Formats: sequence, C-alpha cells, structure tokens
Amino acid sequence: MADVNGKSNESGANLPGDDGLAAASARVLENLAELEPQLIAGGIFDSERNPVATTSDSPTWAREAAALLEALEAGSGEEEFDSAHVASTEGEVFAVTESGLSLVAVTGRFVLASLTSYDMRMALRDVVRSNPRNPASEAGNGGSDDA
Amino acid sequence: MLKPHRVVIDKVSSYTDEAAAFMRRRRHHRREFVRIRFQSGAESDLPSGAPEADRIAAAARRLIELG
Repeated sequence: MADVNGKSNESGANLPGDDGLAAASARVLENLAELEPQLIAGGIFDSERNPVATTSDSPTWAREAAALLEALEAGSGEEEFDSAHVASTEGEVFAVTESGLSLVAVTGRFVLASLTSYDMRMALRDVVRSNPRNPASEAGNGGSDDA
Repeated sequence: MLKPHRVVIDKVSSYTDEAAAFMRRRRHHRREFVRIRFQSGAESDLPSGAPEADRIAAAARRLIELG
C-alpha cells in the first residue's frame, strides 16, 4: 500500500502536515482491510476531495471515488451529507465523512452495513487523532459521537 | 391419518412455497439502492429513477468495476 503522493509509510511515524496525514491514512486503510475481509478497495480524501491515500492500483479509482463523493453531496440537497451506502448487483460502496475527511470503500455484496460504516468512521477518527496539525481536524462536521 | 392424495398435495404445495421463497430472496438480493445519511441524523433512500440516485449509482458501479 502506498499513499497517492508516492511516499512510503514504512516508518509509521507521525510526520507533520500532509506527509503525516498521508502516512496515517495509508496505515489506517491497512488496518481497515484487516478488519473488513470483504474490502476490495478504499481511499481517504480531504475536504476538497483530493485523494490522500488509496488501496487501489488503478489510477482512475481516486478520480471516480471523488466523482462519487461529489454526486453524493449533490444528491443530499440542502442537507449536509454524512455517510452513504450504495448497493449494486456486483458489490457495495460505502462513503463516510468525518472532520473534513472522507473515506470511500468498495466491498463485496451483503457485508454488514452498520459495522462497515462504524469501522470506517473509527478509521477516519484515527487519522484525525494521528495528525493534530492536520487542518481537517479543525474543520469539520462536528465529529459527533454516534457512528 | 392423511389420505394419500392429501400427502401429494401437501408435498407439491411445499415445493411451490420453497420456489416462491427462492424467487423472493433472489429479487431482494438483486435490488439496488442508494441510502444517504445526513448530519442531522436523518436518513433517506433515494428513489431509483431519480436523477440524483442514477448519478450516484452510476458512479458507484464504475468504482466497483475498477475494483
């Protein structure tokens, strides 16, 4: 797994700024993949829908995931988007936002939706906690305690 | 004791019940949906056929295809 900036996360250290955010995101995605055996691909995006880290090797994956986030926000109308679950015949897609970050995950069919969403939210909170200097931790959607 | 023809009818009706249940499960499994939760705590299932739902479903399908 590598972050989209091409930086290694082997050290696992909390680096300040974007490096730390990318490293923490890559680490969190690895943990999420261990928690969710049915996870096919996942990616973490900042508040402007720029990819921070993804697990997919496909270069277009991040772009499509950003398009999905944009469509979800547009589909939310006047409400503020928090999370989504989209099911198709071939698989399922989950999106969760937390503290200015978004996590998009593609899974197999018939995963436990609430558990997956909860794990994704915890993963995002882990990223924010790992990066106190991350501006996203100051922005926010409130970081409510409900999952 | 049931008459022989009642046993046959019961068996046939049991098989048709099984088949109907299988079809119901199959239909349910193939159902697509778009469910959004808002920060207010409200949740909405976008109706299939709505432009927003179609756009989201299309983006999700592309993402699933890429894997």
